[in-house]
Amino acid sequence: MAKKSAAQAPLTPAVLHILLALSTGERHGYGIMKQVQADSQGKAKMGPGTLYGSMGRMMEAGLIRESDKRVDPEMDDERRIYYELTGAGRAALEAELKRYRNVVAVAKARLAKGSLAHGH
Amino acid sequence: MATNAAERRYRTWYAILLRLYPRPFRERFSEGMAQTFHDLCREHGHAKPGLRGLVLWIFFETSVGIVKENTVHMSQLVKTILRVALGALAVLMVPLVASRVVKGWNWSAGSFVFVYVLFFATGMVYVVIARKMGVWSYKAAVGVALVTGFGLAWSNMVHVADSGNPANLVYYSVLAVGVVGALLARLEARGLARTLFAMAVTLALIALMLPSGAPPYLARNMAIGHVVFVALFTASGLLFRHASLVGVK
Repeated sequence: MAKKSAAQAPLTPAVLHILLALSTGERHGYGIMKQVQADSQGKAKMGPGTLYGSMGRMMEAGLIRESDKRVDPEMDDERRIYYELTGAGRAALEAELKRYRNVVAVAKARLAKGSLAHGH
Repeated sequence: MATNAAERRYRTWYAILLRLYPRPFRERFSEGMAQTFHDLCREHGHAKPGLRGLVLWIFFETSVGIVKENTVHMSQLVKTILRVALGALAVLMVPLVASRVVKGWNWSAGSFVFVYVLFFATGMVYVVIARKMGVWSYKAAVGVALVTGFGLAWSNMVHVADSGNPANLVYYSVLAVGVVGALLARLEARGLARTLFAMAVTLALIALMLPSGAPPYLARNMAIGHVVFVALFTASGLLFRHASLVGVK
């Protein structure tokens, strides 16, 4: 029930960014942060407090889970906890993107109408 | 070199700051958060000076997170306490209604308050112990052990009050075995399994050593009571054993 409602409810910007960052594969905390920064062209700034607080709630809602603890070959030899999307997480992301597409479609249609009205 | 020393100092301070998170959150994420903080410092250090500004921002952002998580944790705790209090009140309805129906059941108001406190305390002990473990068998084992222990203490207390025979206090040794065993086992499943088996054995020995002068109907009821309690303690022990086999410490 909780998973279903989490997948249906509108997502916070932080949750959406984390889901997007994990949509292409599992990442550790710092990796997620870097991906969020890249996805938003540096506009979304997320610190460890926001990142891990959001991830805690996402894990409780069953949107993401811990996948592994291993060394990142591109970084130092410290072992890091990796996180990945669950099926519910992917469904929530798809539902959110669909909502966005609908909003964009409505907005486009309304703006087109408005510009036509102004033209007359 | 100086940057490294400053970075080490900031990492130590950040580790101290992370201790302010509620324990469940800290146990789950503090390692990852400390690593992420380290990664951010290192990246920033390589890129340009001004590490102090970044650290200040992270400390502020993390402090906001600490306040938020503690608020959520406290509200969950209050909800849990309320739930247990209401549950204990619901269970208290049983003796309250029974006292109106059963002849000779004349408890004072103080007795009801005492019993309510016992119900509430048992419920809170269950919540505090069982919530730490995600394994169903551990939760079930704690529940069975507490209910059985409570039932034993309760029936014995009533029996001592009715008969006035202090020899019945020997049954409290079963509970003493449980308390000492749980402390020694530090609530780990394997140790608790042994503790519950020891409680079952202690109760069985007490039953065997009882003087056999009771009337037949009473002796039969007592035998059934002992068998039920021994079976429940054993069942709880088996559930703890199952929990230890699936990986709960």
